Amino acid sequence: MIEITDEEISLDRMIQRARSNDAGAIVSFFGTVRDDGIEKMEVEAFRVAALEELEAIRDEAMSRFSLKAAEVAHRTGSLDVGEGIVAIVCSAAHRDEAFAGCRYIIDQLKSRAPFWKKEISGEGERWVEGV
Amino acid sequence: MWVKVLAFAGFREILGREREVELEEAASVRDLLDALASTSPRFKETAFEPSGALRDYVLLMVNRKRIDPELDLARTLAEGDELAIFPPLAGG
Repeated sequence: MIEITDEEISLDRMIQRARSNDAGAIVSFFGTVRDDGIEKMEVEAFRVAALEELEAIRDEAMSRFSLKAAEVAHRTGSLDVGEGIVAIVCSAAHRDEAFAGCRYIIDQLKSRAPFWKKEISGEGERWVEGV
Repeated sequence: MWVKVLAFAGFREILGREREVELEEAASVRDLLDALASTSPRFKETAFEPSGALRDYVLLMVNRKRIDPELDLARTLAEGDELAIFPPLAGG
């Protein structure tokens, strides 16, 4: 399942969906808002294009690494320090494929999926890597 | 003809999320960017070098497919096309 949501991400539910009797390994990545002296983070998406890109990345990972399942969730909206921004869960017969699939999806997501982050602190607001 | 412009992140704060722009038939992506610059000095300053070249951090999609700002600015637009303007991606 691919999800872009304003609601808090549940890694537990994603892991439950990725479980199957032919999967001996489940690997997850959970990216969270780090306290770099910020108060909040706002995450924005080009939602339709991001869903298409995440589906393409998921399909590539499924076939390259023989995954049994791949779940991707990305937050949008206003996030507090410590909240999850992105979660990826990959299941495979063995751990090597599950680790590689998870790594592939987060690396490709960062370079290809249209999301933007704005850091909000007491000193002002700043788009991360943005204008 | 009318085309749709979608703007994200810093460009959304300048242009608004979505707007329709009227252009001459067979206008190019460059024509559309110039039309936006003529209505918004802030957009012009943010998106273009003083020389008139598009700044490196301006990324574009036409109908949700990335285009190369070096090569594709002369690309002709059609009625109902959708141009998305945004800065470098920062997801995850």
